[in-house]
Amino acid sequence: MKKRGFHFYFRIYCKIMAQDIKSKMSYRADFIISTIGMIFTNIAGFISFWILFRNFPSIDGWTYYEMLFLYGFSLISLTPVQCLFDNNWSLRQNVYSGDFIKYCFRPINTFFYYQSEIFDIKGLGQLAFGIGTLIYAWCNIGLGFSALMLLKLLVFLITASLIMIALQNTAAATCFWIQNSFYVLDLANRFRDYAKYPITIFSPVFRFFFTFVFPIAFIAYYPSLVLLRPDDVPVLSWISPLFGIAFFWLSYKIWMHGASQYSGTGS
Amino acid sequence: MKLKKYLTLTRAGIIEALQFRLSFLVMVVGNLLYLIVVYFLWKAIYASAGTDVVNGMTFSDTLIYLVLATALFNFMEMYIVWEIGRNVQSGKIVLDLLKPIEYRKYLFWAYSGTFVTQFFLTFLPTFIAVAVVTNGAIPMGINLLYFVISVIMAVSINYSIDFIVGTICLYTESIWGINIMKQVIVLLLSGATIPIAFFPDTLKTIVSYLPFQSIYNAPLSILLDGEPKPQTVFTTLGIQLAWCIGMMLLSKLFWKTSLRQITVNGG
Repeated sequence: MKKRGFHFYFRIYCKIMAQDIKSKMSYRADFIISTIGMIFTNIAGFISFWILFRNFPSIDGWTYYEMLFLYGFSLISLTPVQCLFDNNWSLRQNVYSGDFIKYCFRPINTFFYYQSEIFDIKGLGQLAFGIGTLIYAWCNIGLGFSALMLLKLLVFLITASLIMIALQNTAAATCFWIQNSFYVLDLANRFRDYAKYPITIFSPVFRFFFTFVFPIAFIAYYPSLVLLRPDDVPVLSWISPLFGIAFFWLSYKIWMHGASQYSGTGS
Repeated sequence: MKLKKYLTLTRAGIIEALQFRLSFLVMVVGNLLYLIVVYFLWKAIYASAGTDVVNGMTFSDTLIYLVLATALFNFMEMYIVWEIGRNVQSGKIVLDLLKPIEYRKYLFWAYSGTFVTQFFLTFLPTFIAVAVVTNGAIPMGINLLYFVISVIMAVSINYSIDFIVGTICLYTESIWGINIMKQVIVLLLSGATIPIAFFPDTLKTIVSYLPFQSIYNAPLSILLDGEPKPQTVFTTLGIQLAWCIGMMLLSKLFWKTSLRQITVNGG
């Protein structure tokens, strides 16, 4: 069999994505309302942030703009999981109803095919909001700008995204073993809200927990330190890209393991 | 004898909910982790503030307020909007409409079993946990009685709002977008994310004219008031009662007029 390169997968992805967008566009009202809903969510998040900092000038040595930086950073890093991996939310129903078996029979990587089926355009609004917030915070802190910083920003944004994707994959894959795994996914989803707070507010035990067991500290805190506190970057920040890749690989393996065990419902 | 048929639905709901024991475990763990995050976050916030009392609320007040707001949310959120939306899309709603019971009542009582289980499995443990963590900062007295009355009315108001939003689904065929908008607005304006005492004055005034603050802010401020003055308590409860009746009538009326226009595919 001819080896399938990146080009092959990319072409297939674009084709499936075009179909998905076409089908979404046929429910135009739903699309518009969902987009407005997404914008609402972001604005509400921003308002609660603003109210908080009207009352308190700083949190644990982090100023308003630095916290906004974390917030914008986490919003941007959530975009890939929102746009590209949103089908994880339907995995539970697919597994339960037996529809999942159709993905197992395709002559292509199951994980790839399953995830490529949905492209969630709503996430792009969040991306725009995140970039706006990040730039606003960036300018107000006066970080300056250089090509190296941009490179660092990109590398660490990808890292953060990988970790977020890994968390969601793992949470979604639990449905291969337990029924009603909605709560697991919902829990993982709720926790990404906490990613925007600096990890130093926690006691050592929970700092460890949120770094290695439930690695939300890598979604915004450790990567942001590289840019925000360049004089005092912990080793963990520098090696976080490795963690990102490792966690992603692990979640992929768990997901595929679950899929390979899937026996269908018989219908 | 009228109540008996409703309580049968409650019983069925309890039995159904108890089937998913694992999801309760996940939920309890999730709530516990949430408690930890909120605890450390606000501890850091209050440590940075330098004073013990901010906007008339101490650290324990804020902690109790926020944690119980989430517990109340978990206990009151019945995913009614999802249920109505899904039933409209699948056409199952036709069968429910044929039942010899008002749809609004049927849905409420069908979900009331979840209330009971959620109350004992999540609300009560959280209540006890937060009472222990704050060293009994929850005043135990006549306010508990007022709190219970207030929560019952809050459940009713919340249900009416959910039902109104669910009715909108008859027109839009969009579930996710409508639901997320409702959730964001309710959680922010009801004081569930940040206590209303922290809001700027203009926003506080606007919020006081809206029904949302009757859902979370009203019961929680009654609970935190150790020496309640009859006048304040009865004003709060009176406003709640007014919203309770107002929203109930509105949701009934809206449903009735909408039902004439409903088109259902298949069934």
